[in-house]
Amino acid sequence: MPNSRLHRRYRLAALGIVLLVLGACAQTPGLGTRSPAGEAAPSVNLDTRSMAARWRALNRLGYGPSPALLQSIQSAPDARQWAHAQLDAAWADSQRAPTLPPTLAEIDLTLPQLFEGAKKERQARAAVSAASPVNEALPIEKRFDFSQPTEALHFNRTMVNKAVVWRLASCSEDGLENPLLARMTEFWFNHFNIYQNKGPVRPFGGHYALHVARAHALGKFEDLVLASAQHPAMLFYLDQWQSVDPQSARGNRGLNENYARELLELHTLGVHGGYTQDDVRDLARVLTGWTISAQSPTGFQFVSRSHDAGIKTVLGQKYPASPAQAGQSEGEQAIRFLARQPATAKRIALRLAQYFVADAPPPDLLAAMEARFLASGGDIRQVMRVLLDSPAFWASENRLFKTPYEFACTALRTVRAAENRSKWVQAWGYAAAAGQPIHQWQTPDGYPFDSATWLTPEALTRRVDFALNIARNAPEWDALYPLLSPDSRNAVLQQGPAQRLGFVLGSPEFMYK
Amino acid sequence: MQINRRHALMFLGANAWAMRPAWADAPGSAAGRLVLVFLRGAYDGISALVPHGDPRYYQLRPSIAIAKPDGSLSSALALDPLFGLHPAMAGLLPLWQQGVLAAIPGAGSPDSTRSHFDAQHHWETGLPGSSASGAGWMNRLSTLYGKERSALGVGEANPQILVGPQPVQLLASGQAATRAGALADTRTREAILKMYAANPGLAQAAQAGADSRMQTAATLTLAQNEAAMAAAAPPAMASPATSDNAIQQAANNGAPPTQGLALDAQNLGTLMGKNRQLRLGFLSAGGWDTHLNQGNTTGTLNNNLANLSRALLQLRRHFSEPQDVVVVASEFGRTCAENGTRGTDHGHGNVMWLMGNAVAGGRWHGQWSGLAQGDLNEGRDLPVHHDFRAIFAHILAGTQGVAREDTERLFPGYRWDARLDGLLRA
Repeated sequence: MPNSRLHRRYRLAALGIVLLVLGACAQTPGLGTRSPAGEAAPSVNLDTRSMAARWRALNRLGYGPSPALLQSIQSAPDARQWAHAQLDAAWADSQRAPTLPPTLAEIDLTLPQLFEGAKKERQARAAVSAASPVNEALPIEKRFDFSQPTEALHFNRTMVNKAVVWRLASCSEDGLENPLLARMTEFWFNHFNIYQNKGPVRPFGGHYALHVARAHALGKFEDLVLASAQHPAMLFYLDQWQSVDPQSARGNRGLNENYARELLELHTLGVHGGYTQDDVRDLARVLTGWTISAQSPTGFQFVSRSHDAGIKTVLGQKYPASPAQAGQSEGEQAIRFLARQPATAKRIALRLAQYFVADAPPPDLLAAMEARFLASGGDIRQVMRVLLDSPAFWASENRLFKTPYEFACTALRTVRAAENRSKWVQAWGYAAAAGQPIHQWQTPDGYPFDSATWLTPEALTRRVDFALNIARNAPEWDALYPLLSPDSRNAVLQQGPAQRLGFVLGSPEFMYK
Repeated sequence: MQINRRHALMFLGANAWAMRPAWADAPGSAAGRLVLVFLRGAYDGISALVPHGDPRYYQLRPSIAIAKPDGSLSSALALDPLFGLHPAMAGLLPLWQQGVLAAIPGAGSPDSTRSHFDAQHHWETGLPGSSASGAGWMNRLSTLYGKERSALGVGEANPQILVGPQPVQLLASGQAATRAGALADTRTREAILKMYAANPGLAQAAQAGADSRMQTAATLTLAQNEAAMAAAAPPAMASPATSDNAIQQAANNGAPPTQGLALDAQNLGTLMGKNRQLRLGFLSAGGWDTHLNQGNTTGTLNNNLANLSRALLQLRRHFSEPQDVVVVASEFGRTCAENGTRGTDHGHGNVMWLMGNAVAGGRWHGQWSGLAQGDLNEGRDLPVHHDFRAIFAHILAGTQGVAREDTERLFPGYRWDARLDGLLRA
């Protein structure tokens, strides 16, 4: 694309900025020619010093403002440099264990401990006599109350709730998690979605978020696919744990195609990625014997006697008849092969660009992201750099409407709800009622994040209700007022003090990212 | 002129009914209403309409078949020598016997995809084989006829079938639908709308949402109070275990997806009864993707089918006018043989259900080619003998006066299926 055209587009876009700009900064042209990581920056002048660009970075690379984040981004030389620094910080944090509040520490128990907890719950339930039924009803206000030690009888349910609270806390409290890392965790959890209410999945959702989505959020894509493939949450969710070679089977067990199909269709190539029903079946055969282990530190084991050692072909790749023991490396090979395909690069580029840039991202950006994905061996951080350096990311005409979960996170940040259980319950309830229950999207495609899905009359009404309710009587935060458009600011200031923050939250500037 | 043709068709269609209610005479309006209950995740149709007369069924499914009818509630309920009804759906048996419930066992999409998401997209856009984004067919149908044929969706945030240029009404699932919310307050509403003035997308959505909320909240609250009052005397159609129970369950947050269906069905029925321009309804429920331990007369599938039949009984109460039709469908069927984990994998053809006074019920329709290995699609699942679009074309032509040219526009490339000419009562 010729520079002049990009440049013009960007200048036009700048006219549309509704936010107040910060004095002289807004007029200062361009960037240095090197990004912090030392790669060549695009030769186009991006105005990433305006307050509009800074506000966009806060909302797209995080979930909105906090006092500390506002200060950090306002004192940065420009938003793009800040964005690259966030990326580096998020990557560094992803390599370390997260800071879990003590009440949530249990989601990071080891996998054998989590299996043990589930087992003890089964035993406790078996020991309850039929005459004294267990009271399963949990009053809504108790849902996120973790002040008492976890009861054996309710281990699974408690783990589900703690995992949900972690997702709300980590997206809304800077002290717990880098906001960009929380975003990447959300993105990958959803890309490799699991449904936490499926029976045996229940204790593992939090561990999956931490050790699959978070740990590999900015690493190599193939490591991420492999980590999800071998995690008990995924093994249970898509039934892989029970898929075995029918010839080997005791009883009537046999092949189950569920995981193999979604691995091709959703996790890697995409539905038009050029595979057939035969590929699905043979990939399922390659993966026979991949199952859970309640004792192994990884929660995974390969059971060679369940493996189909016959000849298989997946996308033209032959897997020759081999000793069954080779089955684990065969599966790993197949997964890494799929993760490196051009169709996979295309799919991941599109999904990331739809999440971070626009519902219909420009083709030149997609091409650049795909190219970097393939050239870097699927290095997600490298692909993100392309995205951050693209004019499309910063162009104000590329609007994105927040999903209910994103809006719930923004709301918790804005009302500064830290440790306020009733606010968490409200935010959780809103996301669920608006159609995006946390960790409970039932199907493996994950939820959509386009505005056509979420910007509808009923959904917006619900969002405004939630905004006004959660922020009612919250203290004013007048540092936010200069970030609003004149219309929004007037509307806010016409309210009584108890309603003002609710109107800030309900303003267009807080609805879009 | 098109409008006149539509009027003419409307009267032709309506003449079959001696006692037409007054609203059917409104200009531009044929009488019928259509409600689609869509089961996401590919429900196992041959567990619902059980081919107990085919010995292959029991060979293919050693541990998950529904037993041959033996008069007990742990076996299929005989409908005819070939088919029976899942016992969890016993509440629907009277409807079959009254001749207002029919099945089409060889229905589906002509596209061969086994991807849930692609297949659902095809069903909802009416364009098998195309994954292009675009309007859903209920929205396009509504667009063809304008406001007099509006659509209502209950539950999902924005289902693809209702996406498109024509405004549609979307309602929250469960009890949330009965709350008017903060925008019911005039001062708040006006302040919010003023704040959105420079942003037409938000302003229009907020206005439409506030209007719809205030109307529907009042209507639904009233209807639910009436239903609670009448609970002591269950309606004649209902089996003892119907709506109240389901309403209770639906009120619980985090309930499994099919459990709330009866309450959503009630809310949909109430609103469509009140607003006669709402002629197209959409409901959905997930949780049908039974790869593992699907069970036969206990377990997940059994519970889902029980919840489905409660919802259908609820819908029967609201949609029993002469030309109302309720359709149950899913994106594709499941493998005829059980898989290695006592479940079933993604298949192709499936059983569709039609309910309504206009339906030639008490029988199944169309072609059924049995379960012999050589007669299965790719040797593993039911073939599709009847394109779902042709089935909807029959319903729309027969009960809504939709001309064939219009169904051509709605479903480009589909073909009228004369083998289904007896689907509706003459």
